Amino acid sequence: MAIANGEKTAARSAPLNETSFIGWLHKNLFSSWINTILTLASLYIIYMVVMSMWTWGIANAVWIAENRRECFAISKDGACWAGVIIWLENIFYGRYPRDELWRVNLGGLLLILWMAPLWLPRVRDKIFIGLSTVFLYPFLAAYLFSGGDKGIFMQIMVSGAIVCLIGNTLHAAIGVFGDSSLPATLLRVLGKAEASDSNQRNTLLTILAIAFVAVFLLQMGWTTKFVPWTKWGGMFLTLVISGIGITSALPGGIILALGRRSKLPVIRVLSTSFIELFRSVPLITVLFMATTMFPLFMPEGFVLNKLVQVIIAVCLFSACYMAETVRAGLQAIPKGQYEAAHTIGLGYWGMMGLIVMPQALKHMIPNIVGSFIGLLKDTTLVSIIGLFDILGMLRSISQDVPWRGLHKEPLIFGAMVFFIICFIMSKYSRHLEVKLSAGANR
Amino acid sequence: MAIRDTGKAPTRVKPKERFDFFHDERVRSVLYQLLTACVVGWLVWYLITNTAHNLEVRGMNTGFGFLTATAGFDTDFKLVEYEPGVGTYGRIFLIGCLNTLLVSFLAVIASTILGFIIGILRLSSNWLVARLALAYVELVRNTPLLLQIIFWYVGVFSILPRVKNSIDLSGGAEVAFLNNRGLYMGWPIPGDLFWMTITAFVIAVIAVVFLKRWAHKRQDNTGQQFPTFTASLALLIVLPGIVYLMTGSPLGWDLPTLQGFNFVGGAALPPAFLALLIALSIYHAGHLAESVRAGILSVNKGQTEAALAIGLRPGRAMALIIIPQAMRAIVPPMISQWMNVVKNSSLAVAIGYSDVVALFMQTALNQAGYAVEMVGMTMAFYMFISLSISGVLNIYNKRVQLVER
Repeated sequence: MAIANGEKTAARSAPLNETSFIGWLHKNLFSSWINTILTLASLYIIYMVVMSMWTWGIANAVWIAENRRECFAISKDGACWAGVIIWLENIFYGRYPRDELWRVNLGGLLLILWMAPLWLPRVRDKIFIGLSTVFLYPFLAAYLFSGGDKGIFMQIMVSGAIVCLIGNTLHAAIGVFGDSSLPATLLRVLGKAEASDSNQRNTLLTILAIAFVAVFLLQMGWTTKFVPWTKWGGMFLTLVISGIGITSALPGGIILALGRRSKLPVIRVLSTSFIELFRSVPLITVLFMATTMFPLFMPEGFVLNKLVQVIIAVCLFSACYMAETVRAGLQAIPKGQYEAAHTIGLGYWGMMGLIVMPQALKHMIPNIVGSFIGLLKDTTLVSIIGLFDILGMLRSISQDVPWRGLHKEPLIFGAMVFFIICFIMSKYSRHLEVKLSAGANR
Repeated sequence: MAIRDTGKAPTRVKPKERFDFFHDERVRSVLYQLLTACVVGWLVWYLITNTAHNLEVRGMNTGFGFLTATAGFDTDFKLVEYEPGVGTYGRIFLIGCLNTLLVSFLAVIASTILGFIIGILRLSSNWLVARLALAYVELVRNTPLLLQIIFWYVGVFSILPRVKNSIDLSGGAEVAFLNNRGLYMGWPIPGDLFWMTITAFVIAVIAVVFLKRWAHKRQDNTGQQFPTFTASLALLIVLPGIVYLMTGSPLGWDLPTLQGFNFVGGAALPPAFLALLIALSIYHAGHLAESVRAGILSVNKGQTEAALAIGLRPGRAMALIIIPQAMRAIVPPMISQWMNVVKNSSLAVAIGYSDVVALFMQTALNQAGYAVEMVGMTMAFYMFISLSISGVLNIYNKRVQLVER
């Protein structure tokens, strides 16, 4: 007979083979004889790979040497990292003048500074910050990287970019620490928090104008040495090409995708054939086409340099791939959203811009990161047509007289660089995917 | 009680549409299309006139006449007869296309097999094996393919031993040799009566089809199973084997032999071909593995449980229930990966394997200089391949699509 005494029995601890390490081992590695064999085989493979990598790449490797012969003299069966180390600056910056490297670094730092608010909490107007990055940063970067005389247009854009950067940064700082926005803070400081709307707007515009004029006057005194694009190279060039490629791919891809889904037959056919044309041929043929046929397309006397040709080719190519990503995102939006937008009286652009695109873009962010990884890897193809991107630099180490024949080490180093960048980005896109779908999975 | 409405509905007055030319939808759609067509048409016309003008100014030749002109350069790897100074540019184009197709075809097969293995290993219950497969996938997917191809070429196949110290892959049987000039292997030469063996094989295949049908019918009628797989395998091996032996083994082997400084006879594959094949297979296997994994995961777990509940063994459950359903999710990305294999085989140009890009778009273009025609032909070739593959994919998708009710 059961005795009910109202007392709870104490919770028993989980069985030992569920919690202990041995239990885990048994369950995950040695559950059957086939699994045991697989585990042992895997252990053997890991042991072989790690040991050979360790002895070749670290234990027997040479880190400091003048040339490859010296490497061999020190250690016969080890990696010769000395060549990679001596070439390190070339790998990252190409033949960019060594005194001017700070400009490349500054350009990179400014980009980080500009984009950092996008990841900070409590910052408002992130869309504006993102758009200003896309539309103003390129001018600042172009001026920093190539330098030389700047025309009046470039001066205006550069000044605008600097004002915008300062504003963004202040705005972000105020947002993070004071949970407010830059315009509100400015108005409060000036004692106009209670003033009428038009008064406030005029005040802000005046401040903006003053800042712009001040920066404009300031930047007129700056001159930097002109660095032709032929001196650009290495990782820097790879990032420039893929960066321009991805930023222009998004608007281009959106337009092409909208065209492909358009109800107007002429627009649909044109967009579809354009997308399919570029998606069905390899990138290298597009690059060859750019270098052999673009000069023929241009009016006589108008010469595009090779970098511009390559960038145009990469932009066209990546826009067509992005178009398919955008199309997939658009297809994921339920029809009801389109109908609802029409019902409340929005036209085509209102429906797309205010209702459909924002939702679709949110869905697409992981895929966009994926495309960027793909584009970054594909950019190495420009080394085939004679630009010295990171792969071109890595390969030219083996042509350098002291390091003749040093093939493997630079390539492995390059693989590590790409792996780190791409791996972090793909993990981040996975993280975003989970974070963005959190709302949908409630 | 229902009220029957006998009276006619009052005739509605159609509201008078105010016809506004610029805000009418039909007018607008025509206008937009016309505008787009004009802009695109003008752009195309502009580019064409520029090109024509530039070609004329530079005195460049045009037209497809060059296809019948003789080409003066040689290629190290060809599947059809060609001799420099005798063969034409048309022949060069054919050689390039065939080389591309050969390496892509082999890479597709190898990467699909490897991809399925890695994809299934990714889902292994064995923690270590799953991690190892994951490491493989991450490693190959996060480094550029071009870098991998160059690595295999300069880091592996170019530092193989010289011809004199070739590695005998067949372990002393002297059938296949590997050295820094490539892979040399024996090649079968069919004799007079070999066609009979092939006929026997075809008959065996037909017999297997009928056997399968019969076994299926019998199982439906009586519930008795027939070991179809074992029987078919036996049929496929035994029948051609007997015919082959009875006709007196009519298959000779052309073996590579060392003569002077190089191997003569057999089939030879250059190092660039091997590097490209291996790099493509390994790279795309990593991508395919992810599709395979996603496809298997997309099958509802209830399906596995149901299959086990009706008494299928795990292997049969996988083969009869899971895989057929997973294929619906695996095949479309798999075919687009195959398309990528074909496109990425164009990276051969970086290591000097004579595919269509390297041979026709680079070497031939530099020699003869018909830029527009040659670029156009090469792109048309790739487009033809891509469109045919995606056509096949569309047919498949239509066939396996879930019929929604």
